Amino acid sequence: MARFVLRRVVLLFAVLFAVTFLGFAAMNLLGDPLVNVVGVLAELDCEGIEAGTVEDTTVDAASRDCDTVAAAKAQYHLDRPVPIRYVLWLSDMATGDFGTSFQNDQPVSEVIREKLPETLILLTMAQIVSLGVAVPWGVIAAYRANRAFDRGSTVASFGLLSVPNFALGVVLLYLLALRWQIFPSAYESGSFGGLVFSLVLPAVTLGLPLAASYQRLLRTDLITTLQEDFVHMARAKGLPPMRIMFRHALRPSMFSVVTVFGVSTGALIGGSLVVEQIFGIPGIGREIVTAVVRDDFPVVLAIVMLVAVTFVVLNFLVDLLYSWLDPRVRAR
Amino acid sequence: MNAEDRVTGKPKASRDPRASRQRLLWRFRILRLVRPSRVSDDSPAGDDSAVRRRLGFSFWLAVVWLLIMAFVAVCAPLLPMADPTKVAFSGPREPPSLDAWFGTDALGRDVFSRTMYGARISLAVGGFAIVFGMVVGGSLGIVAGYFRGRLDQAVGFVFFVLLSFPALVLAILITATFERSMLVVSLTIGILAVAPVGLLSRASTLVFAEREFVAAARVLGARNGRIIVRELLPNVVIPMGALTLLGMAVAVVAEGSLAFLGLSVAGEDAISWGKMIVDGAGLRDLQNATHVTMFPVAVMFVTVLSLNFAGDRIREYFDVKELAF
Repeated sequence: MARFVLRRVVLLFAVLFAVTFLGFAAMNLLGDPLVNVVGVLAELDCEGIEAGTVEDTTVDAASRDCDTVAAAKAQYHLDRPVPIRYVLWLSDMATGDFGTSFQNDQPVSEVIREKLPETLILLTMAQIVSLGVAVPWGVIAAYRANRAFDRGSTVASFGLLSVPNFALGVVLLYLLALRWQIFPSAYESGSFGGLVFSLVLPAVTLGLPLAASYQRLLRTDLITTLQEDFVHMARAKGLPPMRIMFRHALRPSMFSVVTVFGVSTGALIGGSLVVEQIFGIPGIGREIVTAVVRDDFPVVLAIVMLVAVTFVVLNFLVDLLYSWLDPRVRAR
Repeated sequence: MNAEDRVTGKPKASRDPRASRQRLLWRFRILRLVRPSRVSDDSPAGDDSAVRRRLGFSFWLAVVWLLIMAFVAVCAPLLPMADPTKVAFSGPREPPSLDAWFGTDALGRDVFSRTMYGARISLAVGGFAIVFGMVVGGSLGIVAGYFRGRLDQAVGFVFFVLLSFPALVLAILITATFERSMLVVSLTIGILAVAPVGLLSRASTLVFAEREFVAAARVLGARNGRIIVRELLPNVVIPMGALTLLGMAVAVVAEGSLAFLGLSVAGEDAISWGKMIVDGAGLRDLQNATHVTMFPVAVMFVTVLSLNFAGDRIREYFDVKELAF
């Protein structure tokens, strides 16, 4: 077990480095960050001005502009080559300094701290919705497998899996918030209760397709488990069917769902970008889209890194959990 | 109950009475929405697979819809439709009428012709992306699975890193740094497809590389390149091809999501379903001019559903295990 964990930890760090370097290199080499910081001043030929080779009638103004450029370069380490910049940036990240937004000079860590809670609440609620729907749904479907309900739910889950997130969000927003006015159509942050209530629709938008895929997995596993001897034994003892389902069969049938849990979080994060846009939730997802449109590269980079690292670590933990649940995995 | 059925039922000793009764019951059902023998777990395996070998009516229904969409996408400029970028005569936010079948949007443009034109980008991007993923990911996967060793580890690591980004976040990272042209968006979504397709082709290569015909080819003196192209490729292409439509469904949704965020193909004349949906998704538009959003939503849903459904039937037909895209 120790060797297994060690190998996974090494892989984890390798992936983290690769992911962060890839993101960093992409943002630094493909775009010119200097343009984003100082705008047109980046075009200035400062070395030429200092050496006196470029004639400029407004030498004073030009040298002042050059100072701005030099200060910006120093601040964002833009005068260093990319690999060194990467190491500097990484050590900054490690000490909690995520850089400052180009847009309004706000520290990125502050931006993230402001926006993260909304997204975390949303993601948690989405997972609660999906599990809350999927477990009873899967149990009922497996209890009378291949009967009318099960077949109906196969069709329903197929349909749910084919609705794009944003389409489902818009339809739910129209029906439940505008037409029947059950839920608020706008984000409310006044009280915690109001916040949670206004996040119900977004969470359902994110959670329902996920519930459909959880339900498929759970149903398949449950049907297999229900044919095991210990279930026959429980049935022979005369235990009530629902007790057998929930107390005996459910737990050993949760493996697939646990495995998919980590991966699905990635899908949820992707979905939250879209859903936050629809419902006007000021979270991480909305922030990154705004930052991309404005070319605010420290914010984009920090959020992408945060998301990717969370995703990698989460999958790593799920992997460990899974191998702890099922020793056969370790042998691979 | 007819006698013939009882006779044919007899030799198969394994069939238990409950199953045969159930089958008979099904035979007399008037409404058969789903084929009964496909869903019953306890029917004999033989006739189950016999049914699975047929693709079924609804499969062809899905295919017809997809063909219509493909036809419209290719021939959109030739069809007698309103200009999707021009302001129509009837004015903005008009409800559906004989003149404009799906009504007009906030700028008074014809929603029907925009929806039809929207199929172009969605299907083109989706198709290109999955082909790119299959060519790049597929060949990487075959090479890694055939040569194993260091190369396999390196390729596996690249796939792992690609899969470490949530898909939409990786797409945003790429589209954020480039001009958002048609090619860039297609490539972005194509890159997303590389890792899953690659893992699939690697996995099936591993299986086939162990088989006798590969060993035989090697004994006969075939070089590695020939073995890969002539022996492995034809076998690996089948499961990959069977998953094409499913992958395309994912790609179409991904393009839609990017467009919804305003990060898909840029430009006024670049019409995409995702963009149309977000254009009409403001609260007031949603309240007063629902048709502007709901028609593209419906068309996109039916298209993705058809891709998924047809793809799933094909996957079942070729008996390929499901793979998480």
